[in-house]
Amino acid sequence: MSGLDIAVTGLGLVTPGGVGVEASWAAVRAGRSTAAHDPALAANEVSISCRVPDFDADALLGARRAVRLDRFAQLALVAAREAVADAGFGADAWDPMRVGVVIGTASGGGETFERQHGVLVREGAAGVSPLLLPMHLPNMVAGQVAMDLGVLGPNLVVSTACASGATAIGTACDLLTAGRCDVVLAGGAEALLNPLTMAGFARMGALSTTEDPAAASRPFDAGRDGFVAGEGAAVLVLQRARDARAEGRRVRARIVGYGASADAHHITNPHPRGRGVRTALLGALVDADAAPGDVDHVNAHGTSTPLNDLVEGRLLAELLPGKPLVTSTKGVTGHLLGAAGAAEAAFSVLSVEHGLVPPTANLDTLDPRLEIDVATAEVPRALDLVLSNSFGFGGQNAVLAIAKP
Amino acid sequence: MYETLKNILVETLKIAPEQVTPEATKDDLELDSLAVVELSMVLGKEHGLHISDEELQDVETVGDIVALMEERRGAGR
Repeated sequence: MSGLDIAVTGLGLVTPGGVGVEASWAAVRAGRSTAAHDPALAANEVSISCRVPDFDADALLGARRAVRLDRFAQLALVAAREAVADAGFGADAWDPMRVGVVIGTASGGGETFERQHGVLVREGAAGVSPLLLPMHLPNMVAGQVAMDLGVLGPNLVVSTACASGATAIGTACDLLTAGRCDVVLAGGAEALLNPLTMAGFARMGALSTTEDPAAASRPFDAGRDGFVAGEGAAVLVLQRARDARAEGRRVRARIVGYGASADAHHITNPHPRGRGVRTALLGALVDADAAPGDVDHVNAHGTSTPLNDLVEGRLLAELLPGKPLVTSTKGVTGHLLGAAGAAEAAFSVLSVEHGLVPPTANLDTLDPRLEIDVATAEVPRALDLVLSNSFGFGGQNAVLAIAKP
Repeated sequence: MYETLKNILVETLKIAPEQVTPEATKDDLELDSLAVVELSMVLGKEHGLHISDEELQDVETVGDIVALMEERRGAGR
């Protein structure tokens, strides 16, 4: 047992379900897909996406600040502010030297990069904005959160593709356990619904080509045919549990285990027997000093791709014989890519807090090769231990174990 | 020219219109080196006023920039 005991004292969410924790959680609980045809992708062979609705960056952040931020950083700043307010921290309530920021992102400011490449092609190098790099560089998201909140501790961006958000939370737990920080804002942010990135995903064959957007993201369903890309951000305020209790803060849930691994197998395909996933999942359980039978619920990676869901589902059936109730919130939100792990960790925290497992949208017929128990409607249930799974291209895996306060 | 500059500062650089006065300095408007390059680009590309970012760095106020714009417009005739 590692003694990992990290309190989640604040949450911030910006997802295709809405701006804020309340709207995002309500959408996930409702179990309806947020996917729609995306006018910005009208010329692409796949034009379905899950965008954040009604996100007015100028109103939320101020036009002067918003104009210098790529959308992925805009989303992160809004989520970070909500998380800090939720935790009850004011400007003078922490020692800024002891507050760290760890954000995961797969790509950084892809929208800015693509737009400025267009300028380069049309106008030549002299037309390229001096803000290209400050808006595009992946590290800017954590830097911007630190600037916004005036926090001076370790400031990191991690990138493990679609495991990035979960890796960031795990890394933050390590910073707290090692005593390098007293508070860490950890999460993920992604906004890659630009034509170039989406063309790349489509050319890989990774995206659903289902014509009806609402039916496209269908994790673990026999008829699944790929994921639906989404955008969003999630930030968690993390503290050592003993510190949070001593400060009298509300602890929404605790992170008690973190497992990380590599498949060392293939650039996109998961290892067919889930070699890396097994290591990460069992590592999280060892960290949590828990047995496989202790797991009540798994917020699965559950992308809705044929390969991921088959390998993940088979491994869950094999490793967790107690058959925990599985869900994939990607049926509602789509796949938030580098933000997915953080958003799903936040949903797992809310599951523990509210004692309920949210439904998996569009699961009409469970893939007959899978012997797992997947929630198709909201299920009230006391949850003592929840796993949140996240896996990334390149074979990078992260599993978080989340427990009651 | 003052209105042209004010429009660029407000519409492109998103500076609050009430902040833009002839006496306002670049520091007052938080026009850092990146914003100065943006301003130089917009003046050249959209208004045909070729003022380098080095020239803009050397002046202090909105009024100074307007004077430079007037001078450059005159030189272009």
